[in-house]
Amino acid sequence: MSNGSRLLGELIDALRCLPGVGAKSAQRMAFHLLERERQGGLRLASALESAMRDVGNCTRCRNFSETPVCSLCASASRDKQVLCVVESPSDLAAIEQATGYRGHYFVLLGRLSPLDGLGPDELGLPLLAERLGEGEVDEMIIATNPTVEGEATAHYIGQLAKAAGIRATRLAHGVPLGGELEFVDRGTLAHAFGSRQSLG
Amino acid sequence: MRIEQQPAFVLHARPYRETSLLVECLTPDYGRIGVVARGVRKERARLQRAQLEPFQRIQLDMLLKGELATLRGAEPSGAVMRLTGDAGLAGLYLNELVVRLTGRQDPNAALFAFYERTLRRMAAGEPLAWTLRRFERDMLDSLGYALQLDVDAVQGEPLEPKATYFYDPESGAMPGRAGDPQAIRGADLLALAADQAPDTAGLASLRRMMRQVIGFHLGGGELRAWRVLR
Ligand SMILES: [Zn+2]
Repeated sequence: MSNGSRLLGELIDALRCLPGVGAKSAQRMAFHLLERERQGGLRLASALESAMRDVGNCTRCRNFSETPVCSLCASASRDKQVLCVVESPSDLAAIEQATGYRGHYFVLLGRLSPLDGLGPDELGLPLLAERLGEGEVDEMIIATNPTVEGEATAHYIGQLAKAAGIRATRLAHGVPLGGELEFVDRGTLAHAFGSRQSLG
Repeated sequence: MRIEQQPAFVLHARPYRETSLLVECLTPDYGRIGVVARGVRKERARLQRAQLEPFQRIQLDMLLKGELATLRGAEPSGAVMRLTGDAGLAGLYLNELVVRLTGRQDPNAALFAFYERTLRRMAAGEPLAWTLRRFERDMLDSLGYALQLDVDAVQGEPLEPKATYFYDPESGAMPGRAGDPQAIRGADLLALAADQAPDTAGLASLRRMMRQVIGFHLGGGELRAWRVLR
């Protein structure tokens, strides 16, 4: 594809690194920025550059942070006795937005998956074990995804908690709200059945 | 080539292109096969994605073209096998073992049957270590790497239950000395041959031996899952 400008071509090509952006949408975005959104485009460029350069991982919880300890970990108003373990920063954001959770987090940046080369070290589990050994945490909420790998990870982390004498809880999962049994997939239904609860 | 209603177990799935998954499946007629599942990483395909989780027997409809197949449909067949606790970790090991030791599209109906039987045993709560050793033995057998568990590799004499050996992956049971890190009792090798669970010490020796044999067939590598299995 030729559009007469080398820089425009490079921009379109670069935009394609975004998820869900193919050649067509990349071109639409590039034209939009150049035709109508120069200011916004410049802001995007500088925000992108700073974030890519300065955002690293918190040394305590491994969430994204530009300071060695992130603002969640540094916050005095959060409950230090509860630690919620999630697979990814986007899971953390989802819990922050949907629940009133006020405890701390630990981000695995993945789940146990031997075939993807992800083992205990890659998930920062030595750091997590160290954290549990500090004695501040008395409940660990394991919020890994309800997939085969997420469940295996939850079990493994649960063992760490057990070794440290800390109560571990697991997010309940089952039939989605507003769902009907006949349309729920078998795995979910089997899981919901296996973890049924007493009424009242 | 169109393939219809092929029984399969998903071994592993990883993101592929924009919204697709590349799913490694174990089948009886095509062995391990790489199947591209288009669009299943989109929000709306959650149900379809859930059917491509490991440890669930499914029936696949696919289009095979060259090295990879394209998924046309997948439906569950049979009850879900829930591997909880250590069995879940053992299941991940099983899948890594199968992916690493098999090539793609090498038909192996026996391996499929051994794999399914092993999942059933694990889901039923049978002792994990022994279940895994039985699978490793049968898998090696189905790949043409059968272990020689009843006679020694030097004289071809029947193994002595009380004697000490070490197992050389290339030749078999060799005379060994008690106390060697790889030492194994004749009785433990015979137990594996006879499909009779040995005692705890025997299981530990068989595990060491199997890691060495598997490492040899991997060309000297090791399996990641060994780090999470205690
Ligand atoms: Zn932090």
